[in-house]
Amino acid sequence: MDDKVILLVEDNADDEALTLRALKKNNIKNDVVVAHDGVEALDYLFATGAFADRKPHSMPQLVLLDLKLPRVDGLEVLRRLRADPRTHLLPVVILTSSKEERDLVNSYSLGANSYVRKPVDFGEFTEAIRQLGLYWLILNEAPPTKRTG
Amino acid sequence: MTLERTIQIGFAIAVAIIVAVGAAALRSTAATVESARWVARTLEIRGDLEATLADLIDAETGVRGYVITGDTTYLAPYDSAGARLDAHVAGLRVLTADNPAQLERLDSLATLVAARLERFHWTIDTRRSGGPSAAGRAVIGGGGKELMHLVRGVVSRMEDEEGRLLALRSAALQAKARLARFAAWGGALVALALAVIASALISRELAGRRRAELALGETQTRFRQMLASSTAVIYANAVSGPTFSPTWVSENVTRITGYGPDEPLQPTWWLDNLHPDDRERVLADMPALFAHDQLTTEYRFRSKDGTYHWVHDESRLLRDAAGTALEVVGAWVDITDRRQAEASLRASEERLRLLLGSVGDYAIYLLDPTGIVVSWNSGAEHIKGYRAEEIIGQHFSRFYTPEDVVAGKPQAALRAAADQGRFEEENWRIRKDGTRLWADMVISAVRDDRGTLVGFAKVTRDLTERKRAEDTLRRYAAALEASNAELNAFAYSVSHDLRTPLRGIAGFSEALLEDYADRLDDVGKDYLTRVRAASQRMATLIDDLLDLSRVTRSEMHIGPLDLSALASAIAADLTKRDSARRVEFAIAPGLNVQADPGLMRVALHNLIENAWKFTGRRSEARIEVGSVPHDGRSAYFVRDNGAGFDMTYVGKLFGAFQRLHGTQEFDGTGIGLATVQRIIQRHGGRVWAEGTVGAGATFYFTL
Repeated sequence: MDDKVILLVEDNADDEALTLRALKKNNIKNDVVVAHDGVEALDYLFATGAFADRKPHSMPQLVLLDLKLPRVDGLEVLRRLRADPRTHLLPVVILTSSKEERDLVNSYSLGANSYVRKPVDFGEFTEAIRQLGLYWLILNEAPPTKRTG
Repeated sequence: MTLERTIQIGFAIAVAIIVAVGAAALRSTAATVESARWVARTLEIRGDLEATLADLIDAETGVRGYVITGDTTYLAPYDSAGARLDAHVAGLRVLTADNPAQLERLDSLATLVAARLERFHWTIDTRRSGGPSAAGRAVIGGGGKELMHLVRGVVSRMEDEEGRLLALRSAALQAKARLARFAAWGGALVALALAVIASALISRELAGRRRAELALGETQTRFRQMLASSTAVIYANAVSGPTFSPTWVSENVTRITGYGPDEPLQPTWWLDNLHPDDRERVLADMPALFAHDQLTTEYRFRSKDGTYHWVHDESRLLRDAAGTALEVVGAWVDITDRRQAEASLRASEERLRLLLGSVGDYAIYLLDPTGIVVSWNSGAEHIKGYRAEEIIGQHFSRFYTPEDVVAGKPQAALRAAADQGRFEEENWRIRKDGTRLWADMVISAVRDDRGTLVGFAKVTRDLTERKRAEDTLRRYAAALEASNAELNAFAYSVSHDLRTPLRGIAGFSEALLEDYADRLDDVGKDYLTRVRAASQRMATLIDDLLDLSRVTRSEMHIGPLDLSALASAIAADLTKRDSARRVEFAIAPGLNVQADPGLMRVALHNLIENAWKFTGRRSEARIEVGSVPHDGRSAYFVRDNGAGFDMTYVGKLFGAFQRLHGTQEFDGTGIGLATVQRIIQRHGGRVWAEGTVGAGATFYFTL
């Protein structure tokens, strides 16, 4: 079931590993698809490019989106998701190292559902991931999936 | 025709008419007299004729009486009748001598009378001779009746003739008399009319003369009043050779000089009151009066009250036809006020000249309406490099750069100044030596009282140095902006990129500790713990650096802020975070300031957190927030009774990364106070600290 998939958009392998570890430590068993830049993320979501054979109408339950990404950056990915009817209700959590106010403001302006700054301390990071998972995967009611085609 | 001529002609006509009237009257009288004479003659003739007839009838009656009676007494009328009848006929002959027809009739009458007398005589003779009956027959048949009848006829015809002549003559004479009356009346009427016209003309002439006299009198009065109210004293001097003697002066001399009306007519009055210093000069001018017939001088003259007044004197020499000088007339005006105004104007101009001359930093000069330089001050010489004598008379466009001259800028500047009164510009100009200067220039149009453009005032300031400084400053500002942008990029990069490897270090150390704890000994675990702690410190350091950078870069939004409430909130936050600590807070109420709330929160948070940190080893920690008067304003403070510091190092306190305590003793990055100082400085305030080792510290700040 793609419905329970988490899309992790992260270019840094360390952060990817740590995030996956944090998810695992919090017993979040959902499948995690990792996109390593903005283009990959968009290809996955819109079933294009390398993901052309993916069922396009099935959307991940949650997107964890880093801001600083090669090729297409996180804010641009967010902008395109919100501009497309298929994805404009998709829960997107910004997961980033930046605590710059303008990143925060831009993210929320473009329709991010949440903004989480990755703590350096792994304990705190794990806690943050736990709370994210609890809220977005268990407590939050996902928006109705828009079926197309 | 003049009035006199009119009157003369009028009088001539009147005299002619009166003479004619007189003649007519005379003629009329003569006619009347003649008429009377004619009437008398006619009456006389008629009388004689009647008497002739009566004598004849008396004689006839007497003769008849005699015939009847024979009484000779009856013959008395007959006896005397012959003589009387001769006398009547003779008289009638005289009276009708001028009328042949009457004379003829008179002859007939005389014949008839003689015949009748003859018959009487026969009758008488007959009576005497024949008796009464013969005589009676003689009477009846003697033809006496027929003779009488003829006499009566002749008399009647003569009377009729005389009556006709009388009537004829009377009519002619009456016509003559009527004409004479008519002429007399007409003449009288014409004379009357002429008299009326003459009287009207004369009275009109007299009225005109009276009016003229009145007007003349009025003009004279006005003229005198004008002279009296004039500020100019008018005078006349008789000239006799080289000497003048005053003859007349207008009466305002008293009002103007205070001297009585006769004093100015004293021969030496003028010379006596002429200022001694001016006397020689004025007298020296006198020959010029004779040379040019006029003279204008100015001198001081003493008034009656002893004060001297400046006087403007214009005199004119009058000559007779032969060229001999007769009289000097002139006017004389007190010009003391004008002199004073001129003097003060000169003084003010001199001051202005000195002022302009002393202004060295501004080129101040005047242009004529076409842009020709007409004045030049030392500032202009200093700035432009031209000396006054080099540049006066030149066109000001030579200060412009060749490209500006080609573009017509000098003319455009003058036009703009003339149109709007003022033109301002900053631009490059050329000095005499060809170097360029950056000039700040103002051109003002100069207009006279009537608004006519008389030129331009130009003030130029040399701003070359300032321009250079500004250019340098602009370059610095651009560089600063670039470096700020770099700093922003750097801060962003620090925020994001430096933390990411740290998270790796910390995260994988943790993972090692968790997943491989059984394969590590205690030393290995300790090392990994230290790696984690070090990465955490570095993360804090990065965050603090970012804070410091942010307080420098962020925009300020100054507004009202309750420091007391803010301090209380921070205190509550700290107390909640470390509930094990017992810290007494004393926060003064009502600390209201104008500040940026976000930045002020960071500053106050740093100060209170510092106090919190450095009182960590006190069992009875106390943190005080309040304000004290300082240099006339309020200084706010955060005071603690913590570890304090050595005042020797107070200068290092606010430097970034400067710490007065070891990290083992008190945790910290050394950036907090630097951040506080930046924030206070950005508010235009000052921050300082007082401390004693072991006895606590107080941090003051003003806003």
